[in-house]
Amino acid sequence: MAEVISVSKADLTAVPVPVTAPVPVPAPEKSETAEKPRPVRTARPPRPNYRHIHRFPLPVNVYHVPSVIPHNPLSIISVALSYLTFLIYPPRQEIYTAYFDSATSSVHVTDEKTIRALWEMGFFGKGSLSRSEPNWLEQEKKRKGLMGGNTVEEATRKRRAERRQLKLERARHEKLAVEERLKAEAAARESGSVDGLSIDGAAEAAAVPVERFSVKRAMEARYLERRQQAIQNKNHSESTGSLQTANGSGPVSPIVKKKETVSNSTATLQGIEDDLDLDALENEEHLQLSTEEAFFLVYGLGALRVVDHNNNATIPTSSLFSLLRHHSYYPPRSDSSQLDADDPFMISYSVYHHFRSLGWVVRSGVKFGTDYLLYNRGPVFSHAEFAVIIIPSYSDPYWSETEERREYAASKQARSWWWLHCVNRVQAQVKKSLVICYVEVPPPVDCSEDIAAEFGRYRVREFMLRRWVPNRTRD
Amino acid sequence: MADADEDAVRGTTVEATQIEVDLSDETQDFRLLNHLNFLTDTSSSSLPRRGEKDFEPNPTEFQADVLSASRQAMHNALAHPRLHNPKTQVIAIYAPEGPPPAPAVTPGQPSRGASVSPDACVYVPSPKGQYFKSMGQADRKGVIWLLPEEALYLLERGSLDIRWPTSITGGTTVGEGSEEEELSIPMSLQAAYTCLIGRGGLTLERFTVFSSLKRIGYAISRAPGWDDSTEVDDSVDEHSRDSYTQPLKRGAGLAGILGSIFNWINDPKSTSSMAAGPVIGYGIHRNYADIYKKLALIPWYDPTLAPTRNTLNTSAPFRVIFYVYKPSTPIKKSALPPPDFRIAVINTREQTTAPTLPELSALLESTPLDPPRGEKMERQMYMRLRHGYRNVILAVVDQGVTSFLRVADVAFGKERLFEGSSAPTGPKKGGNFRKKKR
Repeated sequence: MAEVISVSKADLTAVPVPVTAPVPVPAPEKSETAEKPRPVRTARPPRPNYRHIHRFPLPVNVYHVPSVIPHNPLSIISVALSYLTFLIYPPRQEIYTAYFDSATSSVHVTDEKTIRALWEMGFFGKGSLSRSEPNWLEQEKKRKGLMGGNTVEEATRKRRAERRQLKLERARHEKLAVEERLKAEAAARESGSVDGLSIDGAAEAAAVPVERFSVKRAMEARYLERRQQAIQNKNHSESTGSLQTANGSGPVSPIVKKKETVSNSTATLQGIEDDLDLDALENEEHLQLSTEEAFFLVYGLGALRVVDHNNNATIPTSSLFSLLRHHSYYPPRSDSSQLDADDPFMISYSVYHHFRSLGWVVRSGVKFGTDYLLYNRGPVFSHAEFAVIIIPSYSDPYWSETEERREYAASKQARSWWWLHCVNRVQAQVKKSLVICYVEVPPPVDCSEDIAAEFGRYRVREFMLRRWVPNRTRD
Repeated sequence: MADADEDAVRGTTVEATQIEVDLSDETQDFRLLNHLNFLTDTSSSSLPRRGEKDFEPNPTEFQADVLSASRQAMHNALAHPRLHNPKTQVIAIYAPEGPPPAPAVTPGQPSRGASVSPDACVYVPSPKGQYFKSMGQADRKGVIWLLPEEALYLLERGSLDIRWPTSITGGTTVGEGSEEEELSIPMSLQAAYTCLIGRGGLTLERFTVFSSLKRIGYAISRAPGWDDSTEVDDSVDEHSRDSYTQPLKRGAGLAGILGSIFNWINDPKSTSSMAAGPVIGYGIHRNYADIYKKLALIPWYDPTLAPTRNTLNTSAPFRVIFYVYKPSTPIKKSALPPPDFRIAVINTREQTTAPTLPELSALLESTPLDPPRGEKMERQMYMRLRHGYRNVILAVVDQGVTSFLRVADVAFGKERLFEGSSAPTGPKKGGNFRKKKR
């Protein structure tokens, strides 16, 4: 286990060097050590090596340059050499292309390579037909039986179906119990005795909790059953020895396994037709970037250029800036209208940029009723621990100068207690910590061309909010 | 006997596994009361297990019986005779004028009466029992003066007998001392509410919070911010401006003199533009940490730089009015230790909106700095972030329903995630019912 950790640390800190080969696929002995502690879960297909796929936190290339050590002349030479290499053959930073879609006020990426790059390096965007990662094509293929394994969406669907089934079963159980009870009561009434159903009996019923059908328990039972089965399978395969493992049920490299399942399924499903189908299957999905993500990639990293959908011309950063600000309202404001200091885009981007610049992976929190979710490293590695809601603050004296401005500011920053409690309870339910992020809106100034100066005036302050249960903090 | 229910609560730590499961949120099944044996036996203090509940009505007689049994149990519990042993009875007298003004303090002489709050309006001539360990203030004669909320709380739980003063009832004074108490008229609960709520800033919301915390064993004292009208302006507003970090200034590179010679080649800085982007510039980047450092653009609030402001320099209702001590904290009335929790009470019908930044900021700045400490905190970034640097508890009372919210000042900017080794390394352990590790 220690070995695994040390490797991961190296991955984190090590700068990807173009000279050395990309981080190798886990060496055989390492994968074995990784397999050992969890042999029971072999029922599920091996996960992709996320650590390798998402080894770059941002879509920007990084080149290691040896550091200069003054008392070591050799280091100077090595530095000089590396600089010389860069001088002669400057590495090129890939600039990806996306187009702005004014109808949806979002930025779209249709190029397959760009989609993968933006998703893998920093988890930007969302597949337009997927839950999060753009994997619609893969899903479709799997749905048509062309590939083995499951997508997350499929797993969720399956789980939900299973749960619904169990709930129906529970309802049936309950109905049966009620019917039985009614029958017993009728019988008791006929025989004239009411002893068994007296109030005393009912009063005691609470003390002896009736074993009821619990969906949660049933799910757990199912899970255990599956695990048991997996262990049995494993034992079975081990007992039958190497003959079996060669046949594919033992630990085989994922590539081999995938190939096999593909060939198996195509063979069973009248191969030729499906092969044609596979070719015909076109990716109809695109990556959808939020305006904040797109602007961060353009302005912050310079890794993206946004083109106009109509004439294919690159939109310069300053025009993109005002365009996104105009489009942060619904319906979008006209290009000629004035930019306000409290354009929603200014407020949301300040927060987005703030957390991104600290290394968090920021994604939309709309599914939990918040503005953002903060992931450590990325959604494939861990659940989001923090959910962020943004509240603008008009504390600058400018906003309280006139009655009109005071009223405007009050209407903009007012949040009801009930709303706050709702959000807070939802976050507790999904085990996230709620962060209230106040953004101080500066007084409006004449449109300046300096974007950094603009954003430097928006200040961010975070508060952590959670329920305090007095019963639990007594000691 | 009288405080048996308190002991019962104290003795059984409710092993609620989840913070979401709050028994007080649910309608109780009163059949539990049948099994509460404190009514007859004080030695045992265990709560019975709760059964499962029906979600919808069905035509069975069984369900109807269960319902009526539950009702009956509630009535039984209510009908249980509550007896007050005359030996433990504590008699107090209502003093609408408040405590007599403390005599001019002669320097050098310790004056005990000086500590009695002018809001106190009930006095106990002969105090006995455990309640006065954390409640009441003694004057020079050794008479304990109770604040209205303390008196009301004790009266409500049946531990105190408040009498009308003879000045109001006009009763004839037969004798002195104990004779007087015997003949005075006891105050009803309704009369006590009428007389005591609204006195010296005690609102029903504040009393609700006070009594609910007191009932589960906390010790509570009034904070200096109790009186809404007292305000001190020590104008720290100018200083608080400085507690925001400024974006990093672009200084000389740290690569050293020799490094800077090479820097002109492919230096991303030369192509970087703060005005028009990209912020990090094109060219060769050494490592991701540098990129993140360059991206720092938005000023954020650093709670460690903020000055602690005077507790009175806040505006009601966002000001600390109660200091709360855990049952385990040893307290001495004359020298109260720093509180475990600071509570502000908010009535949602008066303050209809959640706090704005200036309100919340002032409230938190009025509490002392409480940075995350301890070995566990140092190891776990999430814990540090959740703890924050200052914290306060808002008791939000909505027509009698109280919800407590803990607000803490955090600084995500102080945790440089991009440098950290706290990042998860493996794929996440998702799951349907497997509990998430926190």
